[in-house]
Amino acid sequence: MKTKFSGILTLFLAFVVQLSFAQEKQISGTISDENGLPLPGVNVIVKGTTNGTQTDFDGNYSITANQGDVLSYSFVGYATKEMTVGASNTMSFAMDPDVQAIDEVVITALGIKREKKEIAYQAEAIESEKLSTVNPTTAAQGLVGKISGLQINVQDNGVNPSSQILLRGLRSIGQNNSALIVIDGSRATQGAFDDLNPNDIENINVLKGSTAAALYGSDAANGALIVTTKRGKENSKFTVGVRSTTTFTQVAYMPDFQTEYGTGWQGDYDPIENTNWGPRFDGVPRQVGPTFDDGTYQTLPYAPVDDNLLNFYQTGVNLQNNVYFTGGGKNSSFYMSLGHQDTEGIIKNDDYERTTVRVNASQRLGNLELSLNSSFFRDNTNVVGSTIGSQDRPLYWFVLNTPANIPLENYQDWRNDLYASPDGYFNGYYQNPYWAIDTNRNTDRTNRLNGNIQASWDVADWLNITGRFSLNRATGTGKNWRAEQNYTGAYTRPDAVSSFVTDSEFQSTIYTSDLLATGNFTLFEDFSLKTILGATSYNQRYRQSSITANNLSILGFYDISNGTGELQGTVDEQEKRTYGFFADVTLGYRDFIYLNASGRQDYTSTLNPDDNSYFYPAIGLSFVVSEAFPSIKEGPIDLLKISANNSTVYNDLPIYQINERYAQSGSFPFGTINGFFAPGTFVDPDIKKEKINSTEINLNLSMFTGRLTLDGSYAKTMITDNIVNTTPSVASGGTNFLTNIGELENNAFDFTLAGDILRSDNGLNWNSALTFSSAETTVNKIGNGVTSVNLGSNIYAIEGEVFPQIQATSYVRDPQGRIVVDATNGRPLIGDLKPLGKTTPDYVIGWTNSLSYKGFNLSGTLDYRTGHVYYSQLADAMEFTGRSVESVSTNRQDFVMPNSVINVGTAENPQYVANNNIPVTGGRQSYWTDTYNDIKENYVRDATAVKLREIALSYDLPSKLIENLKLSKVSIGVVGRNLITWLPEENRFSDPEFNNTNSNAIGTGGYFQSPPTRSYGFNVNIEF
Amino acid sequence: MKRIKNIITVLFVSIGLFSCSDSYLDVNEDPNNPTEVGAELMLPVAQVYSANTQFANRYTNTLGNMLMYNWSQSDGFSWYYDEFEYQVNATFYDRIFDYSYGNTLKQYQALANLEGAENANYVAIAEIMKAFHMQILVDAYGDVPYSEALQRGDNPTPGYDDAETIYDDLIVKLTNAIAMINNADETAVIPGEDDIMFGGNMTSWKQFANTVKLRILVRQSGMASKQAYITTEMNAIMNEGSGFITNNVAVNPGYLNEEGKQSPFYAAYGLTVAGETQNNGQATCASDYVVQKLINFNDPRIDRLYTLPVEPLTIGHVGIPQGVLNYPADDSWEPEHVSLLGPGVLSSPQQDATIFTLDEALFLQAEAAQRNLMTGDAQSLYESAITASFNFLGAGDASAYYSQSIENVGWNASSDKIEAIITQKWIALNGTNGFESWIEYNRTGFPSDVPVSMLATTPDRPVRLAYPNSEVTSNSGNLPNQPDVFNTKIFWAN
Repeated sequence: MKTKFSGILTLFLAFVVQLSFAQEKQISGTISDENGLPLPGVNVIVKGTTNGTQTDFDGNYSITANQGDVLSYSFVGYATKEMTVGASNTMSFAMDPDVQAIDEVVITALGIKREKKEIAYQAEAIESEKLSTVNPTTAAQGLVGKISGLQINVQDNGVNPSSQILLRGLRSIGQNNSALIVIDGSRATQGAFDDLNPNDIENINVLKGSTAAALYGSDAANGALIVTTKRGKENSKFTVGVRSTTTFTQVAYMPDFQTEYGTGWQGDYDPIENTNWGPRFDGVPRQVGPTFDDGTYQTLPYAPVDDNLLNFYQTGVNLQNNVYFTGGGKNSSFYMSLGHQDTEGIIKNDDYERTTVRVNASQRLGNLELSLNSSFFRDNTNVVGSTIGSQDRPLYWFVLNTPANIPLENYQDWRNDLYASPDGYFNGYYQNPYWAIDTNRNTDRTNRLNGNIQASWDVADWLNITGRFSLNRATGTGKNWRAEQNYTGAYTRPDAVSSFVTDSEFQSTIYTSDLLATGNFTLFEDFSLKTILGATSYNQRYRQSSITANNLSILGFYDISNGTGELQGTVDEQEKRTYGFFADVTLGYRDFIYLNASGRQDYTSTLNPDDNSYFYPAIGLSFVVSEAFPSIKEGPIDLLKISANNSTVYNDLPIYQINERYAQSGSFPFGTINGFFAPGTFVDPDIKKEKINSTEINLNLSMFTGRLTLDGSYAKTMITDNIVNTTPSVASGGTNFLTNIGELENNAFDFTLAGDILRSDNGLNWNSALTFSSAETTVNKIGNGVTSVNLGSNIYAIEGEVFPQIQATSYVRDPQGRIVVDATNGRPLIGDLKPLGKTTPDYVIGWTNSLSYKGFNLSGTLDYRTGHVYYSQLADAMEFTGRSVESVSTNRQDFVMPNSVINVGTAENPQYVANNNIPVTGGRQSYWTDTYNDIKENYVRDATAVKLREIALSYDLPSKLIENLKLSKVSIGVVGRNLITWLPEENRFSDPEFNNTNSNAIGTGGYFQSPPTRSYGFNVNIEF
Repeated sequence: MKRIKNIITVLFVSIGLFSCSDSYLDVNEDPNNPTEVGAELMLPVAQVYSANTQFANRYTNTLGNMLMYNWSQSDGFSWYYDEFEYQVNATFYDRIFDYSYGNTLKQYQALANLEGAENANYVAIAEIMKAFHMQILVDAYGDVPYSEALQRGDNPTPGYDDAETIYDDLIVKLTNAIAMINNADETAVIPGEDDIMFGGNMTSWKQFANTVKLRILVRQSGMASKQAYITTEMNAIMNEGSGFITNNVAVNPGYLNEEGKQSPFYAAYGLTVAGETQNNGQATCASDYVVQKLINFNDPRIDRLYTLPVEPLTIGHVGIPQGVLNYPADDSWEPEHVSLLGPGVLSSPQQDATIFTLDEALFLQAEAAQRNLMTGDAQSLYESAITASFNFLGAGDASAYYSQSIENVGWNASSDKIEAIITQKWIALNGTNGFESWIEYNRTGFPSDVPVSMLATTPDRPVRLAYPNSEVTSNSGNLPNQPDVFNTKIFWAN
């Protein structure tokens, strides 16, 4: 690859040389917008003549003119500017926005800038201030609720939380549904996005549908986030800024627990139980934990301890410090930043630290502009092991398995305090979580280098050629260890814990290169033509290796050399390549009709070589009603645009999946005997690409000189030939069948309504924006005789149902919906698996408000999601431990199941009669732990949530005050995240947004995450 | 125009740089996983799966020992309430179905699919083992996927076959497998150490095939409609001439005390690699009934099947009834005070995973002889079976034991010889193949006085398993209605 690209570069240089011999005297320059970004499409006319041109995509223009001529520069949304030609051959400046601004430029696919009126799809941008209102540590968190059609699921609350980024719901059962991330024009990954310092982001433009992103080929199906990092402005002064934020994180709420019953089993007190099935609390001192060999034991009052689990968690602290330098000379600009984040989690000893460095620079050499966007990232994570102890459970599980009468925080000193030590800890079934924190760690260090170089050459005033190459390389090392725990006591103890250390390394490299030529033409008087021709390639390599040593010899020494027995190791290597060619044509008639057509031909390494290429067509039409009928603009309407588009994109297969592959069997080799198992996944020999066809219609309305805007879309997407690991009958001799199946239908409706409700130059300003997003995917058909696909745990795709869907064991009900109980023991019958609800919301509403008065600014974002359910593993786990509120709802007595029936007929011909007298047996415990807990329908809960995601109050010191200090900006503020969450009564457990995986199996969470948190803090921003 | 030409040249040159397409895209071969492997690498995995199907935690052996009241639960654990309540629903021991098809049979089918004369022995072994496992599935579930099963992508939702039809076909398949071994030409590879059951001894494989046939035929011996068929097939076994197994049939790839490499039963109930006890072993103990039964029979195997309580040493064996909710407050049923799994069944991390005991083969022959399905001295076969069990468990000489004049112990003292055979088989299979005891109980009702759990709501234990949820969700079009697991017996019991 390297030689190929140097070849391209040589060609570029050859043309540069050729061009610099242009002989005519011309006036040239660069026109930028108010932010210093190049402004394409500015009309430049020599006043009084028909001699005119437009600026190109980089804001550059060149025009023949005589000294003394007046040049007129005009562009929609900006004040027309007139300049007299003097001695200089260059005339560059920034245009000032027209206060009547009704239009804007958007950055579309492949870094191409377009006027909003000419695009036929919906795009919505967010600028840096709005993104980092509360200084989130990742950009994804800052996007929540602010863009319609975009759903961000913050999936955990660790020191480095992960997010799922979905645009308009889900389109694929088996393939990736996350939005494509593009950083500075190059295709990137969510990992690279999460690793960006949010302070370095200039803006993010969200291309909501697949048409908008169709030029990206197979990655386009899920829409795209086009991220542009900050760059300096040409001819701007050197600025140094410091931004510092300190926030504190606390547990926001714990699950609702019962506090009536404590330690015990089957109604009897038991001093070593993890469960709460003992007698009712009576406040009498009782033995807690085992009786030691000398006959002594710990004694505590048998009474509930307030917040006994909450106090396990500490207040986390998060420090973010950023320094940035920006400025620009005549033909150059730069932006440099250094960021540091140091986070202490709510779990003792959980630490996360990261450093980011960014250097963005550009230089113009005549008609050639070279730019570099580069960043370096390193982080250091040290957290408690994800699964720990003898049962490989997450930490929260240990906390939850602490009865109501145990003051957990008293057991911290496990090294010295007998009652907290492995031999003396009260719990006979689970290890002391404080021991777990101190001796079970997952640590890793990651480095990421992201480099993006671009050469943009204006061959002629109507033609630009841009070449771009990006490297995204991440490497990391990790070391995870677990300490052993053994016991000397003869009394009941948990299973012993064996020790191990795992050492791992990974490296991931992605190269992308793009070459595109863009041409702008004016055909006749009323027609304009913009064309793009391009080629792109993508190469992704990944390698991961790990080695594990078990049963370590030296206590507390975690190195592979310390292991006994055989070492275990794995290596995983992957490589994928694609390349493609594309063309895009936009034909405009005057300034109100634009027809866009594009096509891309892709070739991928992951499909059968005989059928590994595919063509993506897209077409769109934009009609600016307010320009076609200018009389409309006499009223309050400034802009009315309607547009529609259709595109077809394809998904290819994941790496290597085209072949059925054997793998070494888990316990092998045994000495000289090795063994491989036949693949559990069988692959359809005719497997092919997945097809996604999407139609979108849009409305864009601007009124009252831009003070009220409405941007709405409806999109319908049909997905056929889904590439899915279907779940065949296991009797077919496999657990997965990778094939093309069925038909999915995705309907999405979203709009953003924004208004400057109050606007005054130096008085009260109030801006309010409401985003509404709804997206629903229905499985119309699966096929192959298969009617459901399991995505892991309780999450399924089921024919005829909305996807994803929870399916779990249910109550058996008669035709009237009454619960059928066993005629002998009065307990509900445990029914088959049944679809119990979808896990994506009916809609998400985000509401962002910003109020400013003189230097003060108050802003906040609220979001509301409803209409979906989730599976609370936490509620499930708490049932067994007898800590659930339900488990005391019948006072631990037998009771007659309300509204229940018994079957007095046969299984084939049931006859149901009301049950008024057969009580549930085992109401003391067995009913709850053995029957109620087995009907998993009980744990499918309403996932509705209202969250005050962000609130921030800041104050900019008046410039008069700070000028004396030679400062250009001083801003101080207080921020809060997730300060308030409202959940429905039936979900008293955890944040329904938490999810165990970042896959399509949305809707299962609980104890793999810590309790939900809120954070608050303050920040300072100073610029010199 | 010249510039335009140049630009077009640039584009075409650069496109040309990409268009060495065939080799550029030829990177889709997985460097970590092979797409083809030889028979010798597949067979040991399949056999390890066979061992797991029986011995891994909560597979067939645990199920049978629980349902047949061999094992119970000591104080301090809530391990086995589903078993004690006979909660036989679509999730109860569903792994038996899922693992058998999804791992064990899948792997044997991959072997059976091998073509070429050189693989004849491997294919024959695969067919024998498939028959062995299919019988277990039929015995547990009745009608199951068979003729359409294991065809992978060609039939992702196989239909269900009639249980009796499957049984009949298993005999045919076993006959064919023996013929395949006999007809294998000189190019056929004879397995070596990769055959972790018989080390490539193909005569042993033929004997094993005959013994599986014997189990299938004896199971149907109560069916009046099949007497002639059984006699014919028994004669065919005798005429074939290889006879039955002469040793315990065990899987052992070289189990060792390493993470993931312990013998599966030991891994489930024994000590960890680091030598620590596991709760699973502490929670699982003798039942009161089995202890009393062995004491009544003066059975020395009791000390091999169960440990003596650690303290006090004087109390002798202690078993616990199944389904106790409130354990004694004096902690007298905690693990150190009761009888746990003994050294005859749980010996070492390296122990054999015995998937077919010699004693069972002899008990089957004794029953066949007693029922006149084959020639042979039923009493001597019965007594050799007990001897084989004593040998297997390391309990010393058996002759004094079986000479006792106790009903269902001494042959002559036993009024119902079949009851004696099945009762003794129940003792012999205790802890090793409880599943077979449960199936034989379903067929014969012996031992006749084995109690039900205290938490049972039915007069007797279940007679079959319910179809698993995996089939409910993935094969609903073919899945029969869930049977009444307490009353709808498998065909051979009717």
